[in-house]
Amino acid sequence: MKIIKTLALNLAVASASQAALAADSGFDMQTVDPEADRIALQNYFKARFPETEIADYVNGIYAVDAGSREQWEELEEFPPYEFDVEKGEELFNTPFANGKGYADCFENGGIGIRHKYPYWNKDEGTVKTLEQEINECRTDNDEEPLAWGKGAIAQISAYMAWTSRDKVFDIQIPADDERAKAAYLDGKKFFYAKRGQLNLSCANCHVQGTNIRIRADLPSPQLGHVTHFPVFRSKWGALGTLHRRYSGCHKDSRSKPLKPQTETFRNLEYFQSYMSNGLVANGPGARK
Amino acid sequence: MNKGLIIAIVLIVAVVLFMTQSDKKEVSEPAMTKAPPPVQVEPSPAEPAAPEVSLQEAFEMNRAMYGKGHSFAWNGEQHTTDHPEEIEASKEATQANAEALLASAMAKNAEVAKLGFEWKLTGDILKKAQQSIDQGNFQQALNLAAQAKYHARIGIEQYHYAQANWHLSVPE
Repeated sequence: MKIIKTLALNLAVASASQAALAADSGFDMQTVDPEADRIALQNYFKARFPETEIADYVNGIYAVDAGSREQWEELEEFPPYEFDVEKGEELFNTPFANGKGYADCFENGGIGIRHKYPYWNKDEGTVKTLEQEINECRTDNDEEPLAWGKGAIAQISAYMAWTSRDKVFDIQIPADDERAKAAYLDGKKFFYAKRGQLNLSCANCHVQGTNIRIRADLPSPQLGHVTHFPVFRSKWGALGTLHRRYSGCHKDSRSKPLKPQTETFRNLEYFQSYMSNGLVANGPGARK
Repeated sequence: MNKGLIIAIVLIVAVVLFMTQSDKKEVSEPAMTKAPPPVQVEPSPAEPAAPEVSLQEAFEMNRAMYGKGHSFAWNGEQHTTDHPEEIEASKEATQANAEALLASAMAKNAEVAKLGFEWKLTGDILKKAQQSIDQGNFQQALNLAAQAKYHARIGIEQYHYAQANWHLSVPE
């Protein structure tokens, strides 16, 4: 009970200070300004963790908690995702029954493109994610789609991320298509809206609650969240996709989780990825 | 001695003594009791005084302190700490009543699901309520359906709160 009280108090203090900083614009189609949001988020974390370089946020909680970082660096000496990257490469290069392969579906043969996802597809009027296009590549070539959360899709995604390491995220929100801005705003709204029986928003844990203990866990900062996916989580004992993690977070707040790759989750990924513009892709990652 | 002078001296001594006693009294009283009592302002008949807390706040405070089934006074009226769904569940434990409450709970949950704010456990609670009906345990079914309906109702409130307030924690 004492832990809950302490957490509630910490979150209340952090929320109150944050609420005081909230301005009165950026919350509708007339005023939303993704670049201003990105800079505001960076400034927020600079103020919270002045010792941490912005570029280091690609490392999640390990950017702001020295103890966790020490353990993680030990773990990275023999990265738990290494076999998955190898398997992903093998799957990526295995031709479909019709003789074609993943390389035929993507720009640059699918190599070094992870940092360009998700993107706004004007023709389809929707946000497209990497995993979504991996499965579309399969169905377009008469193959069965893969399950979204783990297994082969995560391994192929991990290999593609591996080939994109150190490339800088530069997610675009085309100015000539209001629908793209609407998708961004939808993702932003989802991120900051409280939901579930525990009445928590993503931001409660990953903005105001960053590095504030929830039982034994330290929530990671929202800045840089997407850069290291897919991740090998010790809790899963396996590799998983970003949308698998979204579902888990959703459950943690005791919300009924949405299905992976639903429009809402893709919009959330669009918003989060834009927030990571300027940071490098460093997936796959290893997390607790 | 001049009579007037004597009277003047007596008056001065009396005033000094009175002031000394007053000071002593102030020092000896605890700080908490120093504040003057609040001025009682009679409400005008046409404009009754507003209660210090809203009915919602009074309900939540009493609910937290006493749980369900407690009565409390608010603004001259008597209220109970029961949720509307608990009142619905207090009907006679018959199959018809259990099925009716379960149906309304399912409808409410469909409403919150449509808004994207369904809670994680509600679906299972609804399933258990149906199982209880199937097993003839109608009181348990009523209680479970009431719980699920409460989840759904608060989820809808949460949705409306989120629409109006989501921006409050956005860094600027």
